[in-house]
Amino acid sequence: MLELVDLSKKFKQMYAVKNLNMFIEKGEIVGLLGPNGAGKSTAISMLSSLVEPTEGDVRFNNKSIIKNPAPLRKVIGVVPQEIALYEDLTAEENLQFFGRIYRLKGEALKRKVDEVLEQIGLTDRRKDIVKTFSGGMKRRLNIGVAMLHEPELIIMDEPTVGIDPQSRNYILETVKRLNQEKQMTVLYTSHYMEEVEYLCDRIYIMDKGNMIASGTKDEIKRILSAEKTILIQADFWNDKFINLLNDNPTINRVIITEKEITIIVSKEINIFPMLIKMAEDAKIELNSVDIKTPTLEDVFLHLTGRALRD
Amino acid sequence: MVGQIVKKQLLLLLRSPVQLLLLIGLPIILIAILGTALSSFMEGEALELDLKVALIEEENEEEQIERFMKDVEELGLPEEAVGQIQLNIAQAAPIQLLKESVFGNEAMKDVIELDLAESEKLKQLLADDSYSTVIEVPNNFTYDMLNYMVFEEGVQPSLQVYQNEAALGATVVQGMLEHYQEQFAIGSFISKNGLEQLSPQIEQQPFGEIVSINQDKPASARDYYAIGMAVMNVLFIASTIGTFAFLEKKDHVFNRIILANVSRWTYFIGIFLSGMIIGFLHLLIIFGFSRVFYGVIWPDLFAFFVVTLAFAIAVGGLSVLLTAICYRINSEMITNFFSNIVVTIFATLGGSFFALGELSSFIQLLGDLTPNGAAMSAYLDILRGESLADISNHLLFLAIFAVALIVAAAFSFPKRGSAA
Repeated sequence: MLELVDLSKKFKQMYAVKNLNMFIEKGEIVGLLGPNGAGKSTAISMLSSLVEPTEGDVRFNNKSIIKNPAPLRKVIGVVPQEIALYEDLTAEENLQFFGRIYRLKGEALKRKVDEVLEQIGLTDRRKDIVKTFSGGMKRRLNIGVAMLHEPELIIMDEPTVGIDPQSRNYILETVKRLNQEKQMTVLYTSHYMEEVEYLCDRIYIMDKGNMIASGTKDEIKRILSAEKTILIQADFWNDKFINLLNDNPTINRVIITEKEITIIVSKEINIFPMLIKMAEDAKIELNSVDIKTPTLEDVFLHLTGRALRD
Repeated sequence: MVGQIVKKQLLLLLRSPVQLLLLIGLPIILIAILGTALSSFMEGEALELDLKVALIEEENEEEQIERFMKDVEELGLPEEAVGQIQLNIAQAAPIQLLKESVFGNEAMKDVIELDLAESEKLKQLLADDSYSTVIEVPNNFTYDMLNYMVFEEGVQPSLQVYQNEAALGATVVQGMLEHYQEQFAIGSFISKNGLEQLSPQIEQQPFGEIVSINQDKPASARDYYAIGMAVMNVLFIASTIGTFAFLEKKDHVFNRIILANVSRWTYFIGIFLSGMIIGFLHLLIIFGFSRVFYGVIWPDLFAFFVVTLAFAIAVGGLSVLLTAICYRINSEMITNFFSNIVVTIFATLGGSFFALGELSSFIQLLGDLTPNGAAMSAYLDILRGESLADISNHLLFLAIFAVALIVAAAFSFPKRGSAA
């Protein structure tokens, strides 16, 4: 349906996105995961035809949309990261305005506005000015506007940033429902790995403008199949213990926080006796040692050495 | 589509009470204040100054003239020449002229009250604030003046003038006296150079004549300021529309519009029409209010609507240019600069605060080269009873101005939503 081929965007001398390759098939929910500043929003701007790429191509149904974006624009809905609404208009006036610019009119427009208000749970606030809404309500309306013309593909750029857990769940459920009931294709970007993990069939992981991993959830987690993640907790650390961990050739990676140390080791290694010995030598009292089920966060950690929200 | 953009802009404006107050409330208040405060000046009542002038003659003028004629006769000139000098002196006795032709002039009689006083009263007169000017004619003034004029002897004598600086009309009297002295200087120069035949009799020139220039119905202060404030304030519509449009870009709403496959030209036209329609409505509201509350009545409604439409088109052009520049430079600095600096300059040059163009024809031309100035001149002309043909130059300027701005805006408008 939609394909990015070697897509790059350069601002002055710096690449915001470099050689991005990606595809989205009809009916799937694809996640684009990456920390803030990874290049997700730039990628989405190019993909949705708002920003012209420096290099590469965006192909919709096998045709480039760089010079002629109209066919893509007809079938996409974009939920920007920002609240792109008229704050001095009511929810209904916003929907009516955007509905009209999507060429809806008369009874069809009225019906669609009612339907979207129902879907986003704002029917009883339809006559209220948007600036009186909570952050979560604005986010829901932000999504509602992109759904008005029943797009085949909806692109959501961090739609849950800065809202309460209740509104966040509401949005996630709405996305799931749109996909299941209306077969809407969704590209969902986030730096919350649990959202992507919950919603998406396939995932792309970006960091510093590059695509560093892609595949289904299982495929990505299999990156860690040869390794296991072990979480060590203690009241304090000392240099000796950390040096012992770093110097141990069987430990592939050591990530240290204030009260936790995460280590990644090969699956076949039994690290527990060695850890206890190292703690005794360094005079450290361990509180717990756990083997973690790998998450996307662990994959990101494994690939970049940093946490997603660093 | 364009209609939706205009409707949305109108809604946004209606939901912005501060903007509404500034755009509509402020000019209405300013018209009331300026129209009332400056009505006396604007409506020619300024000449109802009650000026009191005191004149002290140290020596009787007739005696000085007699003394001078006696000197002339002793020179042994031919009788005919003596007769001619006597005749001229009878017409040009300087103090007599000052009393009759300057202060006794028909136009000045109602403005200036001339009191003749004795020299002993000088101190008392100087202490009296009701006098704007006290003129002391020194000893031998007429005698010396005649000698200077007829025989080119000595220097031109001067009057001793005491001005009450606190009095409003002191400068008016000073101006009159300077003019009076210049006349004698010119008269002497003409006489010295034998130019009498080429020169009109200066003492017969009308003094302070008021000429009315093509005014079937002169504009009152409220007429003037209703127009002045309306044409100035409507310029703020352009910056308001530009600000709204820039917010659309800043808040990524413009991206949404572009993604809905709305061409940037549709949006462009929407902005232009918003500026034009809101500008048109704004002018109608201000002038409608002025009609009801200040009695500003247009003798030719059709001409009024034509000027309003032409000006509204220019405002539309300004709106779309400001929007395009905001989008191009990705900042609303230009709308702030426009509303804070450019509107003030335009309003001053265009005559919104006072009739600056009356100072010189060059300033008038400069004023007419601003959209508000051109509209103001056109409105004032209509109000004075002139026809559309008479104001065609202003209408043509407004049309050219609008087209030039639209073309400039079209070239400045960015190609894509975020790619400014």
